[in-house]
Amino acid sequence: MTTTALEHELKEMIIETLELEDVTPADIDPDEPLFVEGLGLDSIDALELGLALQKRYGITLESDAESSRQHFANLRSLAALVEARRVS
Amino acid sequence: MRHLELQARPWRERDADACIAWRPPTDSAAGWVSVSAWRQRIGAWQALLARHTDARGAWLLFDSDPLEFSAALVAIWERGEQAILPADDQPATLAALRDSGQPLGTLAGGLRAGADRDPAWSNRPLPAVAVTLYTSGSTGEPQRLDKRFAQLDAELATQRALWPYTEDLVIAQVSHQHIYGLLFLILRPLAEGVPFATRPCPYPETLHAWLAACAGARLQAALVSAPPALSRLPATLDWPTVRHAQGRIYSSGAPLSRAASDLAQALLGSPVHEVYGSSETGGIAWRVQQQGESWRTFPGLTIRSDAEQRLWLRSPHLADPQSWQRQADRIVLDPDGGFRLLGRADRIVKIGGKRLSLTAMDRALGELEGVRRAQTVTLNRRELRLGAIVELDPAHVPHDHASHRATVKRLRRDLARRFETPALPRYWRFVETWPTNAQGKLSATLRERLFADLDDRRAPRWLGERAVADGIEVTLEVPEHCRYVDGHFDAQPVVPGVTLVHWAMQLARRLFALEADFAGLERLRFPQPLLPGDRFRLTLSRGRVKARESLMITCESARGQHASGRLMLTESHDVA
Repeated sequence: MTTTALEHELKEMIIETLELEDVTPADIDPDEPLFVEGLGLDSIDALELGLALQKRYGITLESDAESSRQHFANLRSLAALVEARRVS
Repeated sequence: MRHLELQARPWRERDADACIAWRPPTDSAAGWVSVSAWRQRIGAWQALLARHTDARGAWLLFDSDPLEFSAALVAIWERGEQAILPADDQPATLAALRDSGQPLGTLAGGLRAGADRDPAWSNRPLPAVAVTLYTSGSTGEPQRLDKRFAQLDAELATQRALWPYTEDLVIAQVSHQHIYGLLFLILRPLAEGVPFATRPCPYPETLHAWLAACAGARLQAALVSAPPALSRLPATLDWPTVRHAQGRIYSSGAPLSRAASDLAQALLGSPVHEVYGSSETGGIAWRVQQQGESWRTFPGLTIRSDAEQRLWLRSPHLADPQSWQRQADRIVLDPDGGFRLLGRADRIVKIGGKRLSLTAMDRALGELEGVRRAQTVTLNRRELRLGAIVELDPAHVPHDHASHRATVKRLRRDLARRFETPALPRYWRFVETWPTNAQGKLSATLRERLFADLDDRRAPRWLGERAVADGIEVTLEVPEHCRYVDGHFDAQPVVPGVTLVHWAMQLARRLFALEADFAGLERLRFPQPLLPGDRFRLTLSRGRVKARESLMITCESARGQHASGRLMLTESHDVA
């Protein structure tokens, strides 16, 4: 799977999981922050997203809250995390 | 460990070698923090306060580190001064409290204590008010709540009698700036002599790692949690290897769903003890859902309900333990003496465990540029979320996906100055005219219609309708994730003409109580397709062509015409 395709898959997962009704994949800039000032996600979404990553890709996040949430900074960092840790 | 009332100043009494706190394994300096080391932090805060004291004798304390927070709190108490705890560190919350006291801790402009110092105990009396809590600005004007030591000690005694901390340490997934976290993570451990974790533990992976460390060291931890965290525990983490380290689990802030309660018990191996209460009242009741859905009043409290089902409370946790106080929550009493919660009588809701006044949100929204009128509604999605119905000046009404996104972004950004992100409306319905029923009200039916497309991926987004010369004009939007929208990743998705016909027929059935069926098209043209996010007007009028019923439709958006022509209908008596 190319990175672009994975990024697209992640965009759809975010939209679907978090029920973002008016966001399309094209609206998510891979370099824009996902949280607060960018896409506007919040602390509840962060928990929801962590759960979705575990269900879909078998990814377990680090126990260190700060470093594990750095992967959630933007879509590119999220894709890098999935690429590196997915259980295929 | 001996239980000491706060009024007996346990911070002075405890053995210097005992542990006050536990540094979790994710910390660079993992391990125990002794009472003597913590007293050095109290001394550091005392030195800071002595340098910066002013005539107000009041301090605005917000610190994300429970160890520093508790040391600062004790330092304030030892001076006999007032500790004000803001509910959050949002700029608007702090601006409202700016003149009440000198900011301390990890908030903007907050003073931080320096190097360790020996503490100094004087014979100054404790302040009359132990802590002043403020409800956050999100509930309208921040409301001030003074808690005296007697109230806090009564509450600590209640909880200790029911659930003494028999665990080796306490871990929290909630903020100690609020009454629940303050009592369970800071004050109970202080009174009961049980160490607390020096960092908050917001995520399940963190909890798993900390429990694993506890399991390895044969320690048991009590967990002070809340529904957002407990309802999202991933089953994929290896809980069985760590769950013998899990002691009692507490949850407060909002009722936990039965499913989440069951799941938390299954994964963590311990039942969830839910606490019902508020900043104003302190703890009122508790339950373990596997033993029953109904809430049991804490010992020493009495409750009743009135004709409007409102809860009345007499409690030692209140400022006046003898008087009855009416609450905003409605309840129904059970024959066994317990009660069930029916929801609030006012427009206060809890989102992500935080209280929010919908009235305050509506007012804030109504003041934003281009907004004429606004009303927020709660929507039960995966979490309680807000939807907003917003009447905009015509010039501000978005006509397509891009302008809709831009409008939502602008409004959310403006609201974010006052409200925390989870409280911001997520679902937006922009109307040109306030939708009302025949009685002039935005009724529950209309509110449901405005958000019906959230649960029906085949429906358009309805934004209002009005009578026009020869029929009815309905304003709609194409939902971005509508099932009928064609197109894939690389192609521009569009709304097929047949979908417009389908929507027109559905609307006609409701608007004209039409019973006839679709029988064919006549001179129907689709000059250009509608795109996801497009706002459009669909005008419907009934007609007759010779003996047959028909439906004239026109569909227009800001980009021009999308459909016009006639749908032929079967005679209604033809329909079997």
